[in-house]
Amino acid sequence: MINLLYKDFKLVLHPTNYIFLAFPAMLLIPNYPAYVAYFYLCLSVFFMFLQARENKDILYSSLLPIAKTDLVKGRMIFVMLFELISILIAIPFAIINLKLFTISNPAGIEPNPAYFGFVFIMFAIFNWVFFTGFYKTAFKIGLPLVFAGASILVFYATVEMLVWIPGEVSGFLDSRNPSTMLFQLPILLAGILIWIGAGYLTQRLAGKRFAKVDI
Amino acid sequence: MPAINVSNLCKKYPKFYLDHVSFALDEGYIMGFIGRNGAGKTTTIKAMIGLVHHDGGEVSFGDVDFQKNENACKQEIGLVLGGVDFYPKKRLRTITNVTKRFYSDWDEDVYASLLKRFDLDEDKRIDELSAGMKVKYALALALSHHAKVLILDEPTSGLDPVSRDDLLDLFQEIIEEGERSILFSTHITADLERCADYITYIRDGKIVFSEDRESFLNRYLDISGKVDQLRPELESHLIGVRRHRFGFEALIPAHLDLDLSHFTTAKPSLDSIMIHLERG
Repeated sequence: MINLLYKDFKLVLHPTNYIFLAFPAMLLIPNYPAYVAYFYLCLSVFFMFLQARENKDILYSSLLPIAKTDLVKGRMIFVMLFELISILIAIPFAIINLKLFTISNPAGIEPNPAYFGFVFIMFAIFNWVFFTGFYKTAFKIGLPLVFAGASILVFYATVEMLVWIPGEVSGFLDSRNPSTMLFQLPILLAGILIWIGAGYLTQRLAGKRFAKVDI
Repeated sequence: MPAINVSNLCKKYPKFYLDHVSFALDEGYIMGFIGRNGAGKTTTIKAMIGLVHHDGGEVSFGDVDFQKNENACKQEIGLVLGGVDFYPKKRLRTITNVTKRFYSDWDEDVYASLLKRFDLDEDKRIDELSAGMKVKYALALALSHHAKVLILDEPTSGLDPVSRDDLLDLFQEIIEEGERSILFSTHITADLERCADYITYIRDGKIVFSEDRESFLNRYLDISGKVDQLRPELESHLIGVRRHRFGFEALIPAHLDLDLSHFTTAKPSLDSIMIHLERG
């Protein structure tokens, strides 16, 4: 599996993917929706697949001594590592945001543990819809992006609604208070577990679909 | 134990049917896989190595069933599907450094000697290579991990005569020790006259013959003569008759009990057999 990750790192990753990894710095933009950085990150995953498709990565990889289902598993792990790194990069910016800005973000949720929990769930949704859609054909990439993009937009609207509607839920989720944020950690943990579980199921279904694709 | 055993391989497309393809190749031999464009050569090869999901049949390499152990089989197979046309902007060095990690038996010395033999520069990018050089690079990758079976789809297309000659010599060297086998598809049948031990001929998705080259060539005779010599009892046996101003040319089954002394007959070439059979 490490070889597949190395392959994607050396051949599939485009320099712009590194730039997208820096997008969590957008958390320092005042009065700006915190999820936008991760919309771009999902777009970056799409570019990764586009880069691979245009360079006939599927053909190259299929000639290697690797089962087709493992190719999907390898790409899933690669994308999830990419997503994890983006979260790790975001954490310092989130801390700076919480220290630097004194007033609550009027554009939506604060960069607190609940936010990161929701980002993990957003990744889980994106990965599920995009991977299972793409690996049906292993070449049609536009529609899977449209569906995956629409899915995370619906999710974004739903979780931001919880923040926008005044009340206890909003007060809890939108908090910048350190003691409240401590109680948000279960949301973060749940997000991570959903992301990992969905990742496992996604690569299983996408792998089954890809095994039936003729190259 | 055959090095390659394909049994009743089927694949149905809306307008094409790979119909119960079966053949076997023993260790230490070269098999030429011939047929016209669209006959099913590439589809067969792709179905053999899992690139195309087949509808039925079995493929095994040595005693290992491909479907049950794809990875182990692929470690033992060197694959060349035309030239290298992936990652055109990457350097050869980068592609090789990635590829070699996947093979437990990768041999850096063999790879270096092949680069030298094929005059390949690792600093070049894939799209800086000519069609022939792309094939050579694909071969260098396929031959550097001690594959026991080489499956080559049109490996000589795009090569100049000198490179083709060198490649055919290389094929002979590879099988000399008797442990490695080569299956290669081609429509340049002259290559097979030089090096193939067995010929498998596919037509419209069906295997017509799969046997040793001499038996294949001895099945038929090239026959030519004057048109007015054509009698109905002879004409009914002729295959792919071509009439021209000076007479006719055709193929005829070799072991018929007919008097052919008034005609010119000769042992056919693979090209001639294929052309006349395809003409029908």
